[in-house]
Amino acid sequence: MIDAAYASFALLSRDLRAVARSRSQLYSSLLFPLMLLALLGTGVSSGLSPTSPRIIDGDYTSFLAPGMIAMTALFSSTFSSAGFYRDRESGLLRAMLASPHSAQTILFGKALGAILIGTIQALAVLVLAVVIPGIDLAWQFGWLGGVATVVVTILALNFMLSGLSLLLAVRIKTMQGFHLIMNLVLFPLFFLSGAFFPLDAVPTWLEVIGYANPLTYAVDLLHYASYADSPDGLIGPLIDGLVLGGLAVLLFAVGLRRAPRAA
Amino acid sequence: MPDPGSEAPDSALPAQLSGAAFAWPGGRGVAEIDLAVEGGEVVTLLGPNGAGKSTILKMLSGEISPQAGEVTIFGGPHGREARRRIGLVLQEPSTDDLMTLRETLRLHGQLFGLKGSSLKRRCATLLESLGLGERANDRCETLSGGLRRRLDIARALLHEPDLLLLDEPTLALDPESSRAIWDTLHERISDGAAVVVCSNDTVEAESNADRVVIVNEGRIVAEDTPSNLTAGLLHDALELDWPNAAQEDVAEIGSWDGVGTVLRAEDQLLLSVVNSAEIVPRLFQEYGSQISGVRIRESSLRDAWFQIVGRPLNSAAGDSE
Repeated sequence: MIDAAYASFALLSRDLRAVARSRSQLYSSLLFPLMLLALLGTGVSSGLSPTSPRIIDGDYTSFLAPGMIAMTALFSSTFSSAGFYRDRESGLLRAMLASPHSAQTILFGKALGAILIGTIQALAVLVLAVVIPGIDLAWQFGWLGGVATVVVTILALNFMLSGLSLLLAVRIKTMQGFHLIMNLVLFPLFFLSGAFFPLDAVPTWLEVIGYANPLTYAVDLLHYASYADSPDGLIGPLIDGLVLGGLAVLLFAVGLRRAPRAA
Repeated sequence: MPDPGSEAPDSALPAQLSGAAFAWPGGRGVAEIDLAVEGGEVVTLLGPNGAGKSTILKMLSGEISPQAGEVTIFGGPHGREARRRIGLVLQEPSTDDLMTLRETLRLHGQLFGLKGSSLKRRCATLLESLGLGERANDRCETLSGGLRRRLDIARALLHEPDLLLLDEPTLALDPESSRAIWDTLHERISDGAAVVVCSNDTVEAESNADRVVIVNEGRIVAEDTPSNLTAGLLHDALELDWPNAAQEDVAEIGSWDGVGTVLRAEDQLLLSVVNSAEIVPRLFQEYGSQISGVRIRESSLRDAWFQIVGRPLNSAAGDSE
């Protein structure tokens, strides 16, 4: 057990170091959500004057902020998971799997890296959202509980995404195929998660798809904890937590269980 | 053969395959593989690409399990303890471009439970002995193919394995890199470690192997010491470029004094002869108009391969595994 923890920590350290050296990944993961907040947020707020009661005072930039935090977690976790392919193509994964540890330990160590990187980058966007003057986060239940909820939500989201990535990665043999499938899956899920528009004002068919989407519950929880000034119109932390936590545990456990010995 | 003075790490054979078989999708694979590797022994699996060498190595490393027969490592089934005692070098260099050489070794050491100052010391010693000491803090992306290969060897040796499984460790390397790698390997072998190495390089096999196992089309077709495999050959080998040699001419040459075997391979004839200085002039006197080229060398393992398998080693290639 201690050996496995030591090995997982070694793999985690290695992945963190790799990201620290890959500056373009670091910068783009922060600049892209900021760019969307600045351009899309300002554009919609000023150009379309949204009137939905879920968008407080028509300030679309602030409404968008929790969604951008979820998006950062989503893309950086997925990007980090692609490291599985780099290691497989370089042969490094085979060399790691030849160690005394189980395939689950090796992949757990690698997944921890993806989870931590996704979480740190998402929290960095949260910090920027807090310090940027034009963005108003209500923290309706206090900032301490709010921040704790945001952190837990992001962690659960990243566990879920890492589990999904593991499941796909052991089946899809090339990185190009992995990115294609992830883009095909993730972009629609993200657009229908409530990050860009409230789901309670859309046609029923879109609302049904939205509520069948696991990301919806993560975005809802982020809105609940940081942005909304009342719980009205939100799904609520109990259902959000159950769905998100349940899927995170399920997908991560199944993803690890399916890990093959051979790379 | 193993040095009588060296001792195996324990009494069980480091690696044994009994009636092992494995078929890849598409049909290529190996069958009826019986192989026992002793401590301190270097066994070379010799064969062209696609012969099944890497499949045998993957069964020994535990990456795949035999579909028939069994594999035992130090007397037991494959598992965590077996992997702890194995050092593996894959066919292609396997390094992360963004990591430094020291970090690469350090990560591998940590996966094998090495810690602290002993890990640091072991990394430094191996980097020095493989001529990588000055590059320890460089990123792997800056290394040439030969240096990457040396790093692979350092990684495989880091946890002081008792069984080394090497898939073409010196393929396409310059002589200096090959020598550095084998010098370092021999230090470990002298401590009793067994080595199984896949190769299609007969010169390297002759220089380093205690035993050569000839693998062809998924089966072991011969195994012996290099000297025993070449013992039946006459002193010189002649390679004649002779397209469409007539069967009666081949038979006639085979009946000459001083000529052993005559084998035909595509547009070539391979002759095993006692003295090329006597045979070559006679060949050109009688068949000069048909022979477009001749190469003369001392007989070697390459010719033993030819005699056993019936075609030259370099023309038997299939798809890589």
